[in-house]
Amino acid sequence: MDRARLAHYLDRLVDATVLERLAISLAALTVAVVVGGVIVFLSGAVATCREPALALGGTAFCYDPIEVYLTLARGAFGSPTNLGLTLQETTLLLFTGLSVAVAFRAGLFNIGTQGQMVLGGLASALAVLQVAPLLPAGSLGALLAIPLAVLVGAVVGGLYGALPGAMKAYADAHEVITTIMLNFVAMGVAFYLVRNHLGDPSTDAVQTPSVPEFVRLSPTIGGTRFSVIALGFGLAIAVLVYLLYERTVLGYDLRTSGLAPEAAEYGGVNAERNIVTSMTLSGALGGVAGAMYVLMILYRWQTDMPPLGFDGIAVSILAANNPLGVIPAALLFGAMKGGAIQIDFALGVPPELVEVLRGLIILFVAMPEFFRMLGARAGYGSVEDEVAADGGQKRGEEGD
Amino acid sequence: MSGQDRAPGRDSGGSKYAVRMDGITKRFPGVLANDDVDFAVERGTVHALVGENGAGKTTLMNVLYGLYEPTEGTVYVDGRPREFDSPRDAIDAGIGMIHQHFMLVDPMTVAENLVLGVEPTKWFGLATDERQAIADTRELAERYGFDIDPTERVQEISVGEQQRVEILKALYRGAEVLVLDEPTAVLTPQDVESLFDVFAELVAEGKTIVFITHKLGEALAAADGISVLRDGKLVGTVRADETTREELATMMVGREVLLEVTSEPAERGGETLAVEDLVVTDDRGVQAVDGVSFAVDAGEVFGVAGVDGNGQSELVEAVTGLREAESGTVVLEGEDVTRDSRRECIEAGVSYIAEDRQERSLVLEYDLLRNGLLGGQTLPEFSDGRLIDWGRTRSFVDGVIEEYDVRPPDAGATPRSLSGGNQQKMVVGREFERDPDLMVASQPTRGVDIGSIEFVHNRLLDLRTEGVAVLLVSSKLEEVQRLADRMAVMYDGRFVDVVDPDAVTEEEVGLLMAGEDPDSGRGGGEPRATSTDRPTDTADVD
Ligand SMILES: Nc1ncnc2c1ncn2[C@@H]1O[C@H](COP(=O)(O)OP(=O)(O)OP(=O)(O)O)[C@@H](O)[C@H]1O
Ligand SMILES: [Mg+2]
Repeated sequence: MDRARLAHYLDRLVDATVLERLAISLAALTVAVVVGGVIVFLSGAVATCREPALALGGTAFCYDPIEVYLTLARGAFGSPTNLGLTLQETTLLLFTGLSVAVAFRAGLFNIGTQGQMVLGGLASALAVLQVAPLLPAGSLGALLAIPLAVLVGAVVGGLYGALPGAMKAYADAHEVITTIMLNFVAMGVAFYLVRNHLGDPSTDAVQTPSVPEFVRLSPTIGGTRFSVIALGFGLAIAVLVYLLYERTVLGYDLRTSGLAPEAAEYGGVNAERNIVTSMTLSGALGGVAGAMYVLMILYRWQTDMPPLGFDGIAVSILAANNPLGVIPAALLFGAMKGGAIQIDFALGVPPELVEVLRGLIILFVAMPEFFRMLGARAGYGSVEDEVAADGGQKRGEEGD
Repeated sequence: MSGQDRAPGRDSGGSKYAVRMDGITKRFPGVLANDDVDFAVERGTVHALVGENGAGKTTLMNVLYGLYEPTEGTVYVDGRPREFDSPRDAIDAGIGMIHQHFMLVDPMTVAENLVLGVEPTKWFGLATDERQAIADTRELAERYGFDIDPTERVQEISVGEQQRVEILKALYRGAEVLVLDEPTAVLTPQDVESLFDVFAELVAEGKTIVFITHKLGEALAAADGISVLRDGKLVGTVRADETTREELATMMVGREVLLEVTSEPAERGGETLAVEDLVVTDDRGVQAVDGVSFAVDAGEVFGVAGVDGNGQSELVEAVTGLREAESGTVVLEGEDVTRDSRRECIEAGVSYIAEDRQERSLVLEYDLLRNGLLGGQTLPEFSDGRLIDWGRTRSFVDGVIEEYDVRPPDAGATPRSLSGGNQQKMVVGREFERDPDLMVASQPTRGVDIGSIEFVHNRLLDLRTEGVAVLLVSSKLEEVQRLADRMAVMYDGRFVDVVDPDAVTEEEVGLLMAGEDPDSGRGGGEPRATSTDRPTDTADVD
């Protein structure tokens, strides 16, 4: 494919309507499923098993892709327990996905959700451990402690997001670099504090003591840690974030700063302050994810939290950074997680292979969206009057 | 790759027409931008393309340049049918296009820009041969009589010179046919003159030129043939020496156009804007406005004329709150707003039409509804400061679209699907109708057709009658002369003089714009935007 043709396709992609984009995403999902099936099938040739799904010539193929997908679906939704596992993952991804999406909307790439989640979670656990003894056990105590825990998580996560925001706004430090570095700082500091000062003295594990029973979000489905309250809260936040961008002056300002900083400034928006605001909001959502992890899943803070913050990036890109789109995207990723466990049990297919399927979906579904974003930034698409005279490409940046 | 030669035998190279477009139809979703257009340009001639905003001029030229694939129809170059998949194919076929927004890389030198993408190389293609690039540029510039220094950075040369670099760039890529979209919109009258000299030079070399313009006088003066588009259709092609301005205007609009502004001088009120000893630096920290003082009364239009890049942008940005002044004061309605934020200025009643509509005044990703809110998001008409009242925004935007005849009249369309003039009308309408106390209008009619210019001008004078103070900055001299009650000429960061626009001739103003005060009879620098020479005579006004 020569460059001109490539440029032509990029133009088309950038100009695609919402409906076209939806169609592209669905088609890509289908392709990802098919390609994933082929890979699963072929990898069955090198695995060893007692009952091959298919024997062709001398080769035995261990895995039947259709069976794998069915098991995946069953694993994700097939029983109350499975559904619970899927939804608990979905809930957490909802928060981290929203965290990344909020930053993206403002044109910022927050890789730091993970670190914001780690610190937010830790702060939330410590706050609960501090105040719980003073509160009456029971629902009244829960009513006071849980919101407090979430609030503390949001504040600490928010501050930790504001930091790279301020560095970007006032010192021109690129947020991708600073947030990656701050992830390491967060993990290191949390590890040090918990191991040396704040940890549970009764164990060698780097973790805090457990929070009392009444502060935990009690499981809605037995055998899992899924709490419908947490999910409801997540859905409400998604809707609120959506409304923030659609209905409020602040949301309009934030979004305009992300899309067109010069026009935002023209429209009276303080670009610097908005960068900090966006990153604070994004960090706060990451912090809430950490609080949820503590209150709903583990009941304590422990080092080596799962990479929910990084998964949030994939969720957000899959959702085209739309706060409402984050809901189905988080569900898809949650289902993959829930289903993976089942596949391991039932079929002996290694869960890593499910990771491959997950990766393929990200690759196929998110890539067109990703290229669209890049293409738009590089100035492709039919920008009237803004076309290069040298003909090769249109460059968006004029730097005038 | 390059178009196929389907009829190789056919008078190859010998066709009378450099380009011929046959039955071109271009359909966008819901819009027929070009409707069965037959368009041909004879080799070695200058051809003008005129028509109202949204008539389909840019679209037709984009088809020729391979940016759009026509829905129907064929493009012939030198008598051979061609199919362009991209501008690269068009360039290979000898067609170059210069869009209204220059696509030069500002921090790079003229020579670097010229060879961008087709760099001469040395060490077997391992490195750019810069010396060769500079030599090539110099040779090409000399051949066409352009006075351009290849080693100067693009950001340091004037708009007119940048345009020449664009032209050279196309020629360097072997263009035989040059297409220019509204090339004169950004130029001063002097620069327009010399652009037309360049056209003559190029035509003498056998090149062919097509240019789009809204100024019929230019079409008549510079072109051999003129084609008129209306609503996507070709109304006709006429010879410039056999037609008149009136005939062309009637072809374009279907009615007679009066270029008369009808307004009595307004009753002047108190002083709305007072600027005192203002010093402003530009993005690079260079002093761009050097101690300017003036005042604008309510009900007065104060015009600022001058070659682009003499500090007008920085002056306007300091007044509208977009740029902090180094020293001096800006007083609005008796209140010092020098340190006020942009938002505070908007809330204090400052409306602003920015010269760069695509980067400043519009968000290309937003629909017209959301663009209609830009700047007004905290005004009580549109929100309570937190929640946006989309209902009222909607009726405001619908009103602007209707009154300013923005086409297509659809608040859900994005500016990307609007023609340049329609984008401008949207911005002008939004800023005019926001009930300002001070209207700062920078190039308000850039890219707008004559019918709409008439409308915008009249509306601007209506604002004056309503008691609005208007600060008008334009590189179109006749625009400032026609509208302004007083006119300052800006050169190198200062007001060279403030004159009564009715009492000066174009030549006198031209001299002032070049930094020379005709009264003192002494020159002060060359007519270059970046000259460091500074005129010694600076008239301050109150
Ligand atoms: N990419 C696009 N998508 C949809 N509609 C478009 C697009 N480009 C142009 N149009 C529409 O096609 C018509 C012709 O537009 P065009 O830009 O060719 O006008 P024009 O003659 O150059 O006008 P102007 O003088 O204002 O620049 C307009 O109605 C415009 O809205
Ligand atoms: Mg146009």
